[in-house]
Amino acid sequence: MDFWYNVTLGFGVAATPFHLLLAFIGVFLGTVIGVLPGIGPMTGVALLIPLTFGMNPTSAIILMAGIYYGAMYGGSTTSILVNTPGESSSVVTCLDGYQMAKQGRAGPALAAAAIGSFIAGTFATLMLMLFGPWVAKIALRFGPPEFFSLMVAALTLVTSLAGRSLVKALLSTLFGLAIATIGIDLQSGVLRYTFGNPELMDGLEFLVVAIGLFALSEVLVNLSDTSETVQERLSIKGRVWMNKEDWRRFTPACIRGTLSGFFVGGIAGAGAAVASFVSYGIEKKASKHRDELGKGAIEGVTGPESANNAAAGGALIHLLCLGIPGSGTTAILLGALIMLGLQPGPLLFQQNPQFVWGLIASMYIGNVMLVVLNLPLVGMWVKLLDVPVYLLMLFIVLFSFLGVYTMNNSVQDLNLMVLFGVIGYLMKRVDIPATPIILGMVLGKLMEEKMRQSLVISDGSMMIFLNRPISLCLLILAVVAITNPYWKPMARGIRKMFGGTA
Amino acid sequence: MNANREERIASFVVAAFSLAYFVGAFLIPVPTLKQQMGPGFFPKGIGVGMLILSGIYVLQQLRGGVKEDEERAVIIGADEKIQGKVNLKRIGFILLLMAFYAFVFERLGYAISTFVVFMVGVLYLDRRHLVRDGIIAVISSFVLYYIFTTVLRVQLPPGPLKFLGL
Repeated sequence: MDFWYNVTLGFGVAATPFHLLLAFIGVFLGTVIGVLPGIGPMTGVALLIPLTFGMNPTSAIILMAGIYYGAMYGGSTTSILVNTPGESSSVVTCLDGYQMAKQGRAGPALAAAAIGSFIAGTFATLMLMLFGPWVAKIALRFGPPEFFSLMVAALTLVTSLAGRSLVKALLSTLFGLAIATIGIDLQSGVLRYTFGNPELMDGLEFLVVAIGLFALSEVLVNLSDTSETVQERLSIKGRVWMNKEDWRRFTPACIRGTLSGFFVGGIAGAGAAVASFVSYGIEKKASKHRDELGKGAIEGVTGPESANNAAAGGALIHLLCLGIPGSGTTAILLGALIMLGLQPGPLLFQQNPQFVWGLIASMYIGNVMLVVLNLPLVGMWVKLLDVPVYLLMLFIVLFSFLGVYTMNNSVQDLNLMVLFGVIGYLMKRVDIPATPIILGMVLGKLMEEKMRQSLVISDGSMMIFLNRPISLCLLILAVVAITNPYWKPMARGIRKMFGGTA
Repeated sequence: MNANREERIASFVVAAFSLAYFVGAFLIPVPTLKQQMGPGFFPKGIGVGMLILSGIYVLQQLRGGVKEDEERAVIIGADEKIQGKVNLKRIGFILLLMAFYAFVFERLGYAISTFVVFMVGVLYLDRRHLVRDGIIAVISSFVLYYIFTTVLRVQLPPGPLKFLGL
């Protein structure tokens, strides 16, 4: 059977000593990134991409995926013990996790987060295995107009969830698309926005922009902050493992979190942070112990932690089967893969089976490694918080320069990276989100290509995007994504107009 | 500087950039072989979008800004706003240090420039653990250089170390 052949192929690739080592290094570094406040998964993955230079794409993605879900996982530890989320999808874990730790139940809280994450991650991987080839097969029937509309939908969906202001988020997306137009136009050979600079002919390097916007701007933010925060750190007292009662409460919450996270965060593309909040909302309604939520209920840790990991796994389905990133971190993964000469998309399952199945198998292995790494070593992870901020920031500067320079041996890249660091900092100051820039930049070239191909097919008529049903549905989805924050005020306005109460 | 004033300036900068990009799209040369949609078509579309959105942004700021839904911001995991006083002197120093690092990276080579930048950073930011930080600086500059160039065979600029045959 094809399926078992593929699974065997995958484990054959992932279980080689080198790939096992890479998966281990990936989840280890990922956990470190997740634990350290100030470095989110996006910054972490971008900073560590240079480690993959010289590797083949399969080895590279095994390492990067390890970092990705390791970071998702590591964020929960600090949420529970320090009340400081390592990344945005662990914010909600603080509510009950920290309370549990205060009551001397840090052990069971960490165990619930770890096991919930493990189960959810494994479930998402299984779904990727079962449905990935199927989604890819459907996507193979997509023509250029469908792909263009799919990219529009993906961009608007992620953008609509990217920040406080839709206008700013959309501007940021367009800025990313604008960056993607720099360089030689592959279809006509014409130079665009290069200002006579030969180094710009290939366009701006994705890594230069990503590291500048995320890593260097983070350095500026952290070092300019004058407020001294004192963190109260709780230690693990009492039993580490969950008792019978904990397990009884853990199981349904884990199932609910996994399913909701996978569908909301993964399939619908709403991201891991939204998934964790939706899961918490579900627990508030569905849990038998809903009164205890917020006061240290194990469901409040299990649900969101399962959800954010299921979402992270689900997002990989979009990335691998459609070549469309559903979140900032997967956008960075996509950019890295393109740099390594691989274009993820529906053809990937046919043309590069060892890549896809090797990655999937490595995710199973990585998930097991994470459980083994996280629980016994939790004391060590927490110690990471003792690293002084100034040293951490100097290291980020050092690795940023090292990584960007080794890419092309170009000082201009370093200067541009610093420039984007400043831009990233200023954007943070006025609250313009940077994630959409990366998304726009990664998808920009392909989007333009598909649009131009579509218009050649239609002889220049834009109606081609509306005449084809799948394309139309995707565009409607894009409109819904963009307009949905305005529905409530609009409905209120209409009700008022007809004399109702607002 | 007050937050609203900062945002107002930002909105004008964004609008100016959008306008420059839009105008730039018209300066893209038309290829000799006429195509259905030339190389300027997509940039023009982006330019129009940016102009419209930056116009809305400017208007929003001129009217005193927009009330933001903080609850939604937490749910979608939006970045925290940078609040509180900012140490401008420190920012200026770090920026200068980064610019200096980029300037000397090839001239002094990776090892020397990294050591210098790291130590200058440490001396300015926190000089309480000079011995420990000095050892870290040596490891992350000279030792890392040796590992990269000799073990991993990744090319890094040697700078003056070239004359020592390293």
